[in-house]
Amino acid sequence: MKIVYDGVSFSYPSKTALKNVSCEISPGSVALVVGHNGSGKSTFLKLMNGILKPTQGDVRLEDVNTRDKRVSELARYCALSFQNPDDQLFASTVMKELRFGSENIMGDGSLVDAVSGILHLEDYLQMNPLSLTYALRRLVAIGGSMAMDTPILALDEPTSGLSQREKAYLGSLISHSKSLKKTVVIVTHDLNFLLPFADDILMLSHGEVRYFGGRDNLFDRNDVRQLMAGCGVRYPIYARMSATLGAGKYCYEGKELIDELIKRKAGAAQRTNGQHQLEGA
Amino acid sequence: MLISFKDFSFAYSEDLAPALKHINLEINEGKSVVVSGLSGAGKSTLCLAAADSLSSYPAAVASGEILRRRDSGSIGGTAIVMQNFYAQITYLRSTVFEEVAFSCENNGLPRDEIIRRAGEALEKIGIEHLADRNPLELSGGEKQKVVLATALAMKPTLLILDEPISQLDPESAAHLADVLAELKKEIALLIAENDPYLTLKVADRVVVLSEGEVIADGAFGRILEPGIEEHVELPAWTRCVSEAVKEKHPDMEDSTKRYELSYKSAIAALRGIR
Ligand SMILES: Nc1ncnc2c1ncn2[C@@H]1O[C@H](COP(=O)(O)OP(=O)(O)OP(=O)(O)O)[C@@H](O)[C@H]1O
Ligand SMILES: [Mg+2]
Repeated sequence: MKIVYDGVSFSYPSKTALKNVSCEISPGSVALVVGHNGSGKSTFLKLMNGILKPTQGDVRLEDVNTRDKRVSELARYCALSFQNPDDQLFASTVMKELRFGSENIMGDGSLVDAVSGILHLEDYLQMNPLSLTYALRRLVAIGGSMAMDTPILALDEPTSGLSQREKAYLGSLISHSKSLKKTVVIVTHDLNFLLPFADDILMLSHGEVRYFGGRDNLFDRNDVRQLMAGCGVRYPIYARMSATLGAGKYCYEGKELIDELIKRKAGAAQRTNGQHQLEGA
Repeated sequence: MLISFKDFSFAYSEDLAPALKHINLEINEGKSVVVSGLSGAGKSTLCLAAADSLSSYPAAVASGEILRRRDSGSIGGTAIVMQNFYAQITYLRSTVFEEVAFSCENNGLPRDEIIRRAGEALEKIGIEHLADRNPLELSGGEKQKVVLATALAMKPTLLILDEPISQLDPESAAHLADVLAELKKEIALLIAENDPYLTLKVADRVVVLSEGEVIADGAFGRILEPGIEEHVELPAWTRCVSEAVKEKHPDMEDSTKRYELSYKSAIAALRGIR
């Protein structure tokens, strides 16, 4: 489902959080939202599922303007997993938490089993979410949103509090969402982990858009480092290593980088071999 | 010695598996200990134990002991920023400045000392611009910074931080790592954290927990080995070299260390592939 922000501004009573934000997120794509603390990322997501309505401009999910629908109606389009999982959890068991949205809002629990499998929650289904560790509470909250099976999945800092094991589960969940053609919007500080999944990047600074566009286009820009620095973001480590090592392209994860280096080496060897043959002939 | 765990074990209740098993650990002034491990390994429980905050679990079962230097238990002696820091903001004050000052106010410090400390803490964490804002009306990362500043303002001798950069933007996380690297010269730090970049900058010692037990304890560079690798996050460059060595990439020098923590050396090793 396509998401359009059209000149969106939002002010809390005491603070303007977003200024004239415009962007268009394509159906089935994964977009990352980055920016410094207080730059407006969470506000951006809350406008998407209608908890907040724009002070100016419009947010449209396909052709539905969020102004025209109540939050309960918008829940059919967009499921949001909060920055603090404890703001979201309320059911007495993990199973009920996963089933709630999927049954009450979308009327079909078909994703519940898949989600509990992908996130490795099977052993906890009968437990009270609030008795679990922070990382598990976050996975349950994310799982509950995913299980709603909405066309749009919005995640606010989903890697925060997860160790590498749960991050891998989250990675599988994002890939699964993608295969189901969901549009996924993720607020994150963890570019090192999430860049491999991204199609588009939205960069915010003080409530304004500094960049919106394709991931690869961003890294092709000469000013990418300055852009990132201006948004409190560090230049991703694999991109830095790719540049230092002279890999042919920007790599977004370690394995890709090593494969690229090996490919370059093989290519170089082939070229020298070819030369030797020519010289021999 | 500031605090010392002697064969300490702890379970939240009789029918739950122990969260900590036979912990022996000493923390000293001028040293920083980073606790790593997968979620559920016991990191947060260890932090709470060090902060003497486990007494609020009535059904808990504990054995062994935790020895503390006498003054480390007094107010201002130990400060903790919990994983769920949201619950630590009192919201009894209408500005961030007052919220941060409140922790010192409780200690009965003179007014001008309180004001000085609160101002200093806000500046250290880089949130002077939030001083007049209402703590209720902040973003997640801003709230985490307020709680961090509150802990600093108490000027503790033992500072315990449970995942202190979980909601910070990368620039702020790097800044906090610098602040902590400076702070550890004076006080003791106990930090539960898996972020390898913070660990590299701050840790004198890394303690790795698995299912409540200490499975490694020592300098970051010394504890890394195949059985430990799954429990700690490696810096990206270390991971790359480690993968290449594991795959026995023919272009890697035989002398390449499997765990190369220095960025420069890791890049040099990877140049072998180029
Ligand atoms: N309820 C509120 N009332 C007033 N101002 C608020 C409120 N919530 C957030 N703000 C302010 O709005 C701005 C944007 O906040 P938002 O939560 O969207 O930031 P964020 O990018 O998600 O930050 P973080 O990375 O810290 O989570 C900030 O300046 C914040 O202080
Ligand atoms: Mg936020």
